[in-house]
Amino acid sequence: MSGIVSSEAHKPPTERRTNHGRGFLTVLIAAMTVVAPLLLPMTAYYLNLSMQAATYAVAVVGLTIVLGYTGQINLAQAAFFGLGAYSVALGTVSFGLSFWLALFVGIVIASVAGVVLGLTSLRLGGHYLAMVTISFQQILTLVLTNWISLTRGPDGIPGIARPLVFGFSFADGGTYLALCVGTLWIVGFCVERLKHSKLGRAMQAVRDNELAAGVIGVDTYRTKVIAFTLCALLGGLGGGLFAGGFTYISPDQFSFAESVVFLTMALLGGVRSPFGATLGTALLILLPEWLRFLKTTYLAVYGGAIILLMVVMPEGIWGFLEALRRRLWPPAVTPVGRVAPLPLTTQIADEDDSTILEVKQLSKHFGGLKAVDQVELSVGRNTVHALVGPNGSGKTTLLNVLSGIYKPTTGRLFFDGQPVTRLLPHERAGRGIGRTFQNVRLFTSMSILENIIVGAERPGNAVAIGSNSVEQHALAALDFVGLVKLRKQTVQSLSYGHQRLIEIARTLAGSPQLLLLDEPGAGLNTVEKSELVQLLKRLKRHGLTILVIDHDMNLVEQVADRITVLNFGRRIADGPPAEVLCNPEVIAAYLGNVKTHVAP
Amino acid sequence: MSLLELKNIVIAYGKVEALKGLTLRVEQGEIVTLLGSNGAGKSTTLRTISGLIRPLSGTMRFLGQPIDRLSPEAIVKLGVAHVPERRRVFPGLTVRENIVLGGSNRAQASRRELESDAERMFAVFPELKPFANVLGWKLSGGQQQMLAIARGLMAQPKLLLLDEPSLGLAPLIVQQVFQIIAGIRAQGTTVLLVEQNAHMALSIGDRGYVLETGRLVAEGTPEALWNNDELRAAYLGGRKMVR
Amino acid sequence: MAMGIALQLLFTGLGIGSIYALVALGFVLIYRATNVVNFAQGDFAMLGAFSMVVLCIDMQLPYWLGILITLAAMLVFGALFNFAVYYPLRNRGFQPVIISTIGASLLLENGVLAAYGPRPQTLPGFLSFPGFSVGPIFFDSQYLLILGVTVVMVTLQHFIFERTLLGKKMEATSQDKEMASLLGIPVALMIMLTFMYSSALGALAGILVAPILFVSVGMGSSIALKAFAASIIGGFGDVIGAIVGGLALGVVETFGAAYISVPYKDAFAFIVLVLFLLFRPQGLFGEKVAEKA
Repeated sequence: MSGIVSSEAHKPPTERRTNHGRGFLTVLIAAMTVVAPLLLPMTAYYLNLSMQAATYAVAVVGLTIVLGYTGQINLAQAAFFGLGAYSVALGTVSFGLSFWLALFVGIVIASVAGVVLGLTSLRLGGHYLAMVTISFQQILTLVLTNWISLTRGPDGIPGIARPLVFGFSFADGGTYLALCVGTLWIVGFCVERLKHSKLGRAMQAVRDNELAAGVIGVDTYRTKVIAFTLCALLGGLGGGLFAGGFTYISPDQFSFAESVVFLTMALLGGVRSPFGATLGTALLILLPEWLRFLKTTYLAVYGGAIILLMVVMPEGIWGFLEALRRRLWPPAVTPVGRVAPLPLTTQIADEDDSTILEVKQLSKHFGGLKAVDQVELSVGRNTVHALVGPNGSGKTTLLNVLSGIYKPTTGRLFFDGQPVTRLLPHERAGRGIGRTFQNVRLFTSMSILENIIVGAERPGNAVAIGSNSVEQHALAALDFVGLVKLRKQTVQSLSYGHQRLIEIARTLAGSPQLLLLDEPGAGLNTVEKSELVQLLKRLKRHGLTILVIDHDMNLVEQVADRITVLNFGRRIADGPPAEVLCNPEVIAAYLGNVKTHVAP
Repeated sequence: MSLLELKNIVIAYGKVEALKGLTLRVEQGEIVTLLGSNGAGKSTTLRTISGLIRPLSGTMRFLGQPIDRLSPEAIVKLGVAHVPERRRVFPGLTVRENIVLGGSNRAQASRRELESDAERMFAVFPELKPFANVLGWKLSGGQQQMLAIARGLMAQPKLLLLDEPSLGLAPLIVQQVFQIIAGIRAQGTTVLLVEQNAHMALSIGDRGYVLETGRLVAEGTPEALWNNDELRAAYLGGRKMVR
Repeated sequence: MAMGIALQLLFTGLGIGSIYALVALGFVLIYRATNVVNFAQGDFAMLGAFSMVVLCIDMQLPYWLGILITLAAMLVFGALFNFAVYYPLRNRGFQPVIISTIGASLLLENGVLAAYGPRPQTLPGFLSFPGFSVGPIFFDSQYLLILGVTVVMVTLQHFIFERTLLGKKMEATSQDKEMASLLGIPVALMIMLTFMYSSALGALAGILVAPILFVSVGMGSSIALKAFAASIIGGFGDVIGAIVGGLALGVVETFGAAYISVPYKDAFAFIVLVLFLLFRPQGLFGEKVAEKA
């Protein structure tokens, strides 16, 4: 199917106009909010409140990146905020630096701290990671309070100067507020764009299904470190602006309680969007105005609000509004025109090496359990090789070792002649090994097309990383399984059979040479199964090699060139289907021993 | 009145229908087997009967009483015990403790009664006796399966649901397990058995049902099902198998 | 002479460590039953301490009565906490619950702050005699009481979980909730009992430590974080580990404060925690942090 490839430029005119219209409106509103403080008279009280809201919002947008996009809890945001604030304060007051230089130093320091925190996520997740962030926060508070010679301790630092730009002073409250609001808009815009970038998709993939993300090519560790770094960077930026705004800071403004406040703002507004972050911050800072009588108990109210939010509105106000909008105005599916065919040719090696995957003496033990026991396997290039065996025979474990999810206890793996035993999952994806899962693992917060784009963005894929060609490639993969019309749908709205096909398309977008399929036929009816058989045959015709696990012998027999049978982790047969399916040991393993009968 | 009756049970996970209107029955004193390939809905059926999953629509009756809205605790009190897939013995409790807890549904039974029932269970499962004070995770697969069944029987159920008891077990052990299952029926407990090992299951079953993607596609006596070549090929594994 | 000081520090460290151990026990029990870390655990201690202040100082009730009422009230509170904070989120994965318990901690601390004001309170020791000396070491009576009560509690808990059927049912629930429900064990009730017991345990720790520390709104958080560190050091999920970890941390902290630095005393717990998390996340007794499946 060749033809004109569709692209942004070829979108129907109405859709283009709407996008431009929205963009123009947003810029207009942004400009108005930046200019307003310069023109409108505001009392010092409201100026301060707005400055606090704007600078806090910058920090809260940082949480959008690490918690909203990447799904990691960060309870040290106040620490990063404090690092930025103290850098500006100490920089300008104690060391005589210019505001901008001090701010820059503050951002750098906060970012480095963020990197360090992110590095700890290597072996930790969940509540362990949360604990590390809390510890970090507490240690910093202790240092700020007790290292008096540097930080002046609990007395704080007064007299922080406002910045100058070519002699133009930001000393005036309104001007400084305009600076803060402008910064917030820029930050918000960048973070919103981030969501639709390769990094943003990688982050969401880590959040939705870290295991699958790694297997289809996302460097999950690096993504998490970057997330923490960016979050800390924004925290530092917000803190630096905060110090300049209030011209006096002290350690108790950057305590664990403030980290919780940041978190609440993010959750209230909607943790997955910078608009949500801003909304939540504004509400929680400006609202308490007429809740002034609650000044002593406002934190208690925060606490109760957090619980309520988690129960009733976990996606926050913005998330709630977004969900409403999607329900009332579902995204129009515009016709996409003709799609270029998916380039699925494999490179033929110079030497006539016809084995693409070599498994030598592979064992995987879990304590005393030998899940895989000295298995040898050779998968020929451009063949369909089936891996079968009764439940519990070690097939999925073997596949997990091949994907890099488990480290083998002993044994070695060779792919395309190269040793791959020590490679991480995303590195194997980078070599051209693709994998689908027994329980479909799609990224539920992204659209179908985005899911597939993540697959296309695997390291080393022969697709230029510019938005157009990657999207084309993804559409081609979707077209290969015949589901282009579903590209804007959410994962949950699809039938099981379709979800399976999408998972296959996601892998195909990575131009794999070897495809590992874990029970692709499970849960499919007869019609869907025969379509699957056709799909597998097509893939083989395009030069792919397939290693497939399935229980349906009918299906296996129709597609497999070779079958390996496992039982209790050991290989009990290996050969062409006709031979293997008549092997008495295989029959006994599957059907049970024909000769024995149980007395009633 | 049937012991257990399912009519048009529909189970859905979001938009995915795992069971599409299942109707089956189990009569007192039978061993009924549920067969089908992976993902066919066999385990889902058992989990629905025991109350872990609530059906979207349809009715379930146990001894005439509707059970589709009851919790697992309530259903086991009525006399339906579920021995789930992969045994799931409590790894940090001893064999004896596991067995005693099997009687948790019997509200009137005193601890002494439960302990003496446990002793009697050791007579039925003599291989477990030497391991009475050993922690669950240390047992072999076969021993865990025996333990799980013993624990299930402690509930003194009228209906025992067994989910893939042969999973991961060596053939010899599988034979032992199935002999025990036959013995259970002899004692008066009805059994609904889910199995992938079709031959073993059909050899002791009185009747069988075959599921495919949530739908019933065949039912009948073991001979009838076994002799149906196509069924054998698609669901029981292996087309060119020689009997 | 130095030996005498070291032994004194050891005694004091064990005393404080016992408090951490009691709170850590509460953490571990809730975690084993629900797979959730309760960030408000320390606030149970804070509530226990404040309750004593209200009952015994403001209302002049005798100590024994105050303790009884506090423990009873905290049992009820544990049940309420279960219903409000854990139960609605029990199927939602661990992140919403963690965040919810953080919210609860905030609510409790600031609620008490609003009700009572920020001034730290003091509570006199429970026993009328101040303690006795053996050689260079002074055995403070309150510390002796703490150690004694901890030993009694640990023994009692061991008895409940090892010997009673109820204890076995709670164990089973924490090992495999679904299987427990299939046997007819009332899982929701078991979890509620776990929360109630943990709440009372935390309160007991607060009651015992109140005469030694200032009773302040923030005392719970700092104890909780250290107790959490203790349970990780001991091996998360392991009951003995929680106790050993608590005692060890108390001793390390006390020695650290004496020989290294007082204001950074609190930092030791966090530094040790981070080191363990980085290099030995399974702690001293725990099994390897699970492999991904």
